[in-house]
Amino acid sequence: MLGNTKKKIVSILFIAFVLVLSACTSGKSTPTAQDAPATNESVKESGKFPKAATNTAAAIEGGTMNYGLISDTPFEGILNPIFYSGNPDFEVIQFFYPSFFATDENFDVKDGGAANISFSNDNKTVNVKIDDKLNWSDGNPVTAEDYAFAFEVIGNKDYDGVRYDTSFMNIVGMEDYHAGKAKTISGIKIVNDKEVQIDFKEADPSVKSGLWSYPLEKKVFGDIPVADMSSSDPVRKNPIGYGPYKIKAMVTGESVQFEANKDYFHGAPKLAGVNLKVVNPNVVIESLKKGDIDLASFPNSLYDGKNVPTNVEFLGRQELSYDYIGFKLGKFDKAKGESIMNPDAKMANKELRQAMGYALNNEQVGTQLYHGLRTPATSLIIPAFAQYHDDSIKGYNYDPEKAKQLLDQAGYVDKDGDGLREDPKGNKLTINYAAMSGDTISEARAQFYLQNWKDVGLNVQLLDGRLQEFNSFYDRIEKDDPDIDVYGAAWGTGTDINPAGLYGSKASFNYSRFVSAENDKLLTEGASAKSFDMAYRKDIYNQWQQLMIDQAPVIPSLYRYEVQAVNKRIKNYDISYGGSYDSLAEIELTSDKPEVQQ
Amino acid sequence: MWKFTLRRILIMIPQLFVLSVLIFLLAKAMPGDALTGAMQANPNVSPQVLAEQREKLGLNDPAWQQYGRWVGNLVQGDLGKSYVHKIGVADLIGSRLANTFYLGVAILVLTYLISIPLGILSGRYQNSLLDKTITGYTYLSFATPLFIFALLILFVFGFQLGWFPTSGSVDVGIDPGSGSYYANKFYHLILPAIAGALVSTTATIQYLRNEVIDTRLKDFVKTARSKGVPESKVYSKHILRNSLLPIAAFLGYDLTGVLAGNLFIESIFGYPGLGQLFLQSITQRDYSVVTILVMLSGLLALIGTLLSDIILSWVDPRIRIG
Repeated sequence: MLGNTKKKIVSILFIAFVLVLSACTSGKSTPTAQDAPATNESVKESGKFPKAATNTAAAIEGGTMNYGLISDTPFEGILNPIFYSGNPDFEVIQFFYPSFFATDENFDVKDGGAANISFSNDNKTVNVKIDDKLNWSDGNPVTAEDYAFAFEVIGNKDYDGVRYDTSFMNIVGMEDYHAGKAKTISGIKIVNDKEVQIDFKEADPSVKSGLWSYPLEKKVFGDIPVADMSSSDPVRKNPIGYGPYKIKAMVTGESVQFEANKDYFHGAPKLAGVNLKVVNPNVVIESLKKGDIDLASFPNSLYDGKNVPTNVEFLGRQELSYDYIGFKLGKFDKAKGESIMNPDAKMANKELRQAMGYALNNEQVGTQLYHGLRTPATSLIIPAFAQYHDDSIKGYNYDPEKAKQLLDQAGYVDKDGDGLREDPKGNKLTINYAAMSGDTISEARAQFYLQNWKDVGLNVQLLDGRLQEFNSFYDRIEKDDPDIDVYGAAWGTGTDINPAGLYGSKASFNYSRFVSAENDKLLTEGASAKSFDMAYRKDIYNQWQQLMIDQAPVIPSLYRYEVQAVNKRIKNYDISYGGSYDSLAEIELTSDKPEVQQ
Repeated sequence: MWKFTLRRILIMIPQLFVLSVLIFLLAKAMPGDALTGAMQANPNVSPQVLAEQREKLGLNDPAWQQYGRWVGNLVQGDLGKSYVHKIGVADLIGSRLANTFYLGVAILVLTYLISIPLGILSGRYQNSLLDKTITGYTYLSFATPLFIFALLILFVFGFQLGWFPTSGSVDVGIDPGSGSYYANKFYHLILPAIAGALVSTTATIQYLRNEVIDTRLKDFVKTARSKGVPESKVYSKHILRNSLLPIAAFLGYDLTGVLAGNLFIESIFGYPGLGQLFLQSITQRDYSVVTILVMLSGLLALIGTLLSDIILSWVDPRIRIG
């Protein structure tokens, strides 16, 4: 026993030592491009994670689940969906203040949640009907007024969060209200106690998935000035929700004790309660092994597929985001509010961009650096949008020969015999690649890409010779720093399929500054009234995906998977998109004590 | 003595002013601001809205205006509002300060409890096996990175043996203010404090050891011995007192260092304190918090030197300045 412990301590020390060393020499541990697997079959490997807990033992009555909030900082404690900004806060909120709406596998609202929606014939008006039994945990009913109040707060000029976006601006009268020209939002009408009607300026199919989905209790917040709401007690100290659990006690930033909400409109949850605590990523594996936590979102960078706890089950699903390689093609003209392409930009040559895409072995990055938690991306619409992702598009598969061929054709050939290609005019070609620092894998991945590009004869250098910290990375990308030619970044997609905010010619987040009439036309069509017809919208977005792959202003590089570690005593937990509205309320335990790894 | 103290305090005013200008300019020179990355939280957020928010926060004003506003508010006791946490900076820091203070005091007390006896023993029995063991320990603890040591301690005593809680500063659901609440807080404090103390004893032990060895050979010690003072009394009365001088010189810094926060320990033990808050505020460009925290640590450093000088002149009349 003692010897065993000793061995473990030594191995921990050793691991820590190796971690420190590998942090210094991560460049060396980069896999070389030569060991590339021959096939693309492992693309589908991430399907190996089940989406639901497979435990079939008999459930016990009640029980308390321990939830690990994996974070190296305390949660901020802004426990309200209208005001929070950090993901840790959201993990707390989901237990007691869930979304109004149930959603299907396309993230569109479907019936069965705390409120249902219906559209008018011209799709410009939506009617939101709140469940009759839905009550706040302080006993008051959740009313139409509460829902309308949320719009009034978010649209208020004193509101200090980031939720006021284009979907709000599309509501009739919202911009006047926001500017202070109107006291109320003319497009939001309270029909009766439980029904609200919202008029939109344009029929926008994104409303189906992007409609604001949380009420705010007017009886509690009505008297608080909007600017003070986010720091008020009902947000910080005694938050009230309507979810399956309610807060019993809390140590802000550290832990929350939830108890079952017996009054929950779908009936009391199976568990008696949930204890949530913040767990540092450094100790998450130990905490899981010991059964300290039953359920946690597992940090991707710790997952290696081998040294993982055996007393837990891993559930996986696609993350709503993708990594991409962007090419700087111009500048954003602030005065005009639109992107202007520069025909003389270093990356203006389409074949060059395509070649850089074919040169990347993302297959190997996914399997070796991310242990299968990232897979090569083929299109800018991620497969999680099952209806819209176009399977037939193959994207930029690793094909160095094709890359070389494209470069030869475009005139990028090695004229001085140093093994690196010159540009078509015969000048030396050095491409600057900006990459973000982040986890331990970032450096290795950037170096690997540089090697990939070198393999096809392109001289690509890391911008400033190092990785860029998050803030300075985006600062320089946003300001169109002329030193940046190529950059590696990622986008969260949210649940709204519409990519216009990231790629339209007037969008300031269109960081590549790519402009094309065809692109703008398709993006407008995809968000038009006609696109309420799903088949039509699918066709439009298929064309758009193909266009972006052909033109290659950005090249999707990796799709991401998120995994959750679930103790084997947990039953009835399903994380698939479009699954049950009550996934947290349905969780059961099959034992009083958590499974422990010996 | 009072004149000296007063003069030192008056000098602090221009020092703090220069510090505030430097801090402000450096903070503003960091690329990005609190709204960089807002589109990661909500991909639909429109750039106009971000521009509006920047305007509202005054981020578009010229630097001197922003500085004037900041210092003006500061002088009136308004520390500003955290953009990330959406509460007043004073409240935010206040909520973390208590934890940091407890942890800092616990580490300080433990450090002295461990290092003073060890330093004296090591100096008294110079070159013995005991001395070598203690010196060996100081080298080892000096060379051990805190974050690895903290992980190791947590692994052994928290997870393997299960003697101590593995994260947090207090268990949830205990009535704040009750006896069991403080007992529970203390229970959570032990492990992080031990981890912090065991690797910060080196300087004190080494200083003390050298001083004891030096003082042992001084004439007044020989005199005491020759007068027949018992050996134990020679050490406790004559040598120890004189050897503690350099330790006293550091006490001022140590006392204010209590509030500096300890990033590694706080994050590994999930113990919310100022160290973590500082790092998080820098990465998220929460200017109002960053500037106040740096100001605070600057102020503490100034007070620390003052305290050290006062303590030193109090215990050692020779260096008293007239």
